[in-house]
Amino acid sequence: MSDAETLDGMSTVEVRTSATAALIPTIRAVASDLAARADFDLDAISDLRMAVDEACATLVDAADPTSVLQCRFLVRPERIRVHAEVEAAKADTVLSTDTFGWRVLQTLADDVEVLHDAGGEGRRATVGIRLDKSAGDVPR
Amino acid sequence: MSDAAAPDPFGTGLPLDTQVSRPRPGTVLLAVDGEIDTLTAARLQAGLDEAVDASQADGSGVVVDLSGVTFLASSGLAVLIGGARRLADLGSRLRLVAASRAVTRPLQVTGADALFDIHDDVASAVAEATGAGASAGDKQAAPGSRPSHTAAMPPGVAPPPGEVGR
Repeated sequence: MSDAETLDGMSTVEVRTSATAALIPTIRAVASDLAARADFDLDAISDLRMAVDEACATLVDAADPTSVLQCRFLVRPERIRVHAEVEAAKADTVLSTDTFGWRVLQTLADDVEVLHDAGGEGRRATVGIRLDKSAGDVPR
Repeated sequence: MSDAAAPDPFGTGLPLDTQVSRPRPGTVLLAVDGEIDTLTAARLQAGLDEAVDASQADGSGVVVDLSGVTFLASSGLAVLIGGARRLADLGSRLRLVAASRAVTRPLQVTGADALFDIHDDVASAVAEATGAGASAGDKQAAPGSRPSHTAAMPPGVAPPPGEVGR
């Protein structure tokens, strides 16, 4: 685990693992650690840890077996943005959002978005999830 | 130490221990320790199936002690909800011992807590399960209708029947 690097004055942490469910505990532990250090309240820490787990589990299901799971945490004042991405199993792979897990993810995060990139010109297709979580309860 | 037969030390996920016991007549207790996620949920499912099967022999109450659980993902919630539905069909409710935030927060934020009888400690859960087991028929299981715990429930997060256990 590298230390946070500074981009545009922001703390950014990136974790890259094989896209396997067995390594998601490592990623959610990082999420939990960052939220705690960013003074998130205890519920928000728990929610972010669970949201990152859901997002990563969804992506691993859709990933090419040889893919990397790349998870980037942008730690801002009062909130953390997470951008997770894998190389898709197929060019037309679409993340399923009609699941219990996806509804839980939507509930846990303040905002969540699916990102598809069909690739081309030598780039492989990717699927990703972006989610935002604030440090404490915000009205939704 | 040589261990050439184990190619991937993380392959099966984190440890999740489940143990079924009968702390007293009329109650089956499933104790769970570890992190429940997409990889380990199957072990929770196996333990819960064993506990519910054992309870059916004599109409015992079922208590799942989650005191030792340090993470609970939606995959684990789905297993617990499936167990609650199975017991509801038998006219009973699933009792959970959930004291730590790692368990209570996921239950609360998804609204799933309305589907269970939630206790702070094993003793009170076992006492109530044993009492209810003798009169299992007179307790109408009505998921979603309990007034307590549901104030923070976002509507519609708990899955409809048939969606869990996928």
